Amino acid sequence: MTPSSVLLTLALSFAGLSALCLAMDRHHRAIFRGAPSRRRARALRVAGWCGIGAAFAAAVITADWNFGPVQWLGSLTGAALLVVGLVSYRPRWVRPAALVALPVAAVAAFLA
Amino acid sequence: MKQGFRQSMAWLHTWAGLVTGWVMFCVFVTGTATYYRTDISHWMRPELRPAAVEPGIAAERGAAYLKVHAPKAVAWYIALPQEERPLLDVYWFDSFDTPIRQATLDAGTGQPSTARATQGGDFLYRFHFELQMMPLIGRWIVGASALILLVALVSGIVTHRRIFSDFFTFRRDKSAQRGWLDAHNVTGVLALPFHLMITYTGIVTLAFTLMPWGVASAYRGDALRFFTEAGQNPAGRAATGRPAEALPLAPLMARAQGEVSEPLEMAIVNNPGDAAATVVAVFEEPKGLAHRHPQVVFDATSGDVIDRLGTLKPAAHVFTSFLGLHEAHFAGPALRVLFFLCGLMGSATIATGLVLWAVARAPKAGAAPGFSLRLVRGLNLGTILGLPIGIAAFFLANRLLPVDLVGRATWEGGVFFGAWGLAALVGLARPQARTWREMGTAAAVLFLGVPFVDVLTTDRGLDFLGFDAAMIAIGLLLAWGARKVSRYRGPARARAAAPDNLARA
Amino acid sequence: MPDEAALRPPSPGWRLRAAVAGRVALAAFGGYGVAALATAFLSLVLPMARSEAVATATLLSFAILVGAVIWVFSARTLGRAFLGLAVPGGLLAAGLWLALALVQTAQPA
Repeated sequence: MTPSSVLLTLALSFAGLSALCLAMDRHHRAIFRGAPSRRRARALRVAGWCGIGAAFAAAVITADWNFGPVQWLGSLTGAALLVVGLVSYRPRWVRPAALVALPVAAVAAFLA
Repeated sequence: MKQGFRQSMAWLHTWAGLVTGWVMFCVFVTGTATYYRTDISHWMRPELRPAAVEPGIAAERGAAYLKVHAPKAVAWYIALPQEERPLLDVYWFDSFDTPIRQATLDAGTGQPSTARATQGGDFLYRFHFELQMMPLIGRWIVGASALILLVALVSGIVTHRRIFSDFFTFRRDKSAQRGWLDAHNVTGVLALPFHLMITYTGIVTLAFTLMPWGVASAYRGDALRFFTEAGQNPAGRAATGRPAEALPLAPLMARAQGEVSEPLEMAIVNNPGDAAATVVAVFEEPKGLAHRHPQVVFDATSGDVIDRLGTLKPAAHVFTSFLGLHEAHFAGPALRVLFFLCGLMGSATIATGLVLWAVARAPKAGAAPGFSLRLVRGLNLGTILGLPIGIAAFFLANRLLPVDLVGRATWEGGVFFGAWGLAALVGLARPQARTWREMGTAAAVLFLGVPFVDVLTTDRGLDFLGFDAAMIAIGLLLAWGARKVSRYRGPARARAAAPDNLARA
Repeated sequence: MPDEAALRPPSPGWRLRAAVAGRVALAAFGGYGVAALATAFLSLVLPMARSEAVATATLLSFAILVGAVIWVFSARTLGRAFLGLAVPGGLLAAGLWLALALVQTAQPA
């Protein structure tokens, strides 16, 4: 549960949760024009769950089974709060932030 | 109750939440602060500089003090110093019926510490599970409230219709009630695993106070025997009444440290000076969730090891893991920030719930609120803003009260309750929107004042940067909140017709 | 909105207040009673070491308590709520009485 490990799970959770958020009609509408197409929604949902799964794997690998699950749940909460904050106050930042989260995760993975 | 399960649960959630809300808000806020208990204690004793003291030598200094001041005690407890806290806390019981006595010693000299007298972060910690009341009453109030909160959590989950589709939803541009409900749902659902975990594990920390019936039936009430069989305590040895010379503590501590890799935390001497005296070396919890302390027990006169406490059986391991999860001692700095954030969200869930309760019952435009609504609004104000005001005043008192004031620690506690009480009275007397803005601003100013006063009255340079930065962040958050509350004008279409809905909060 | 409608209660008469008070009392005392009986009973009969049984039973007791409270407030009538606690409570009490008589318990120190 080193800081870089926490940053890694946070970044992956954030990317995944942003995707799940954008897959929803209401939030997609707030950022782009109209609701997402069926294919796009499904792709976003798959990406979202992959991100969350990757965060779990990263947590367990870097912080082992004792603390990994706790760190994963904490990261999901922190990341979700950030997504809600952005979607409510700066919706146009959600997609760029989610994309930036990926290289941040890569750097954190290297450090962890 | 006749309406169907979901509606019954909605009713239960509303009323259980109200009944437990004020107490649990305070428990959550002080509990969240307790994640940084040692940092707070550190900040509140600025005279204390970090110093490494060898634990065995420190233990002997503590024992020397106790030999002079408590030679007839039935047990001595010597809490060993840490590098950032080079103090020895010594405790003793003159007999098992008299209350515990304590002293704080400088670990370098073994004499009473000259750092300012204060309870430090332990004040907020004791408030968290005991409300600074007599232990049994305070713990029962907190325990019962936590059980009711658990009921509110479960009923809230059942009642929340769109828990997945509304996961990320926070609408600020519709009605005030919608906004507060969304805030309540978001802070509640996003940290739901934490809320369920922390509430249940919190109840478990008080388990044998709230539910002693297992020990009553299986052990005929002999709790000490239960804890010994569970591997938490070494078995006690009765005093013989014959005096005997005890070995010095330092070599015993060193031998114990040779067996266990965790740092030493405490030395306990049972029946000091007696032929049957024992010395227990207690270590910090090893890495892992379980809140268990390895212990090595020596015969005080011969130095033989008579007992070792290590691994636990499955149920005991689960039990102590729940304790460990609640205290989160295992968390590194980054994970601790996440726990702190979740604690804040829990406090926000309760606060938004209390405000929502009042907003949903706001009378129509022009009508006056009834007594019970005015009472709820007043209590909301007095609790949600009163407690932060009390905490900020507590920190300010620590810096502003004279260092050699008699009963200083009690005075600091007095300022905490006094400031809170004053704020609560103001809130009860004027429960309107304007008071939220005014008290919110007052709270912000007090928090922003803490680092200011800190820099003026101490000379620790950048040592307290983290704490002071946190005070500024909290102050700014409160100021932002106060501004938001005062600027809210209701949804566009309602603005023309009705006055500010939020004014009724 | 349905959620908000559920938040506005109708103005209550004394009959409703009495029914609510009855449920609250039943949930508090009856719920705690059932949980306490279950803890005492399970501590004696669970097939594990004595300290383990006490730890397990005590950990479970709070879930039982919360479950009992949920039951009391969701039952259709106060009478049903009462029976839903009284029957398991009675069985647990009988079982506890038997267990205390049959199972070896610790002598007080």
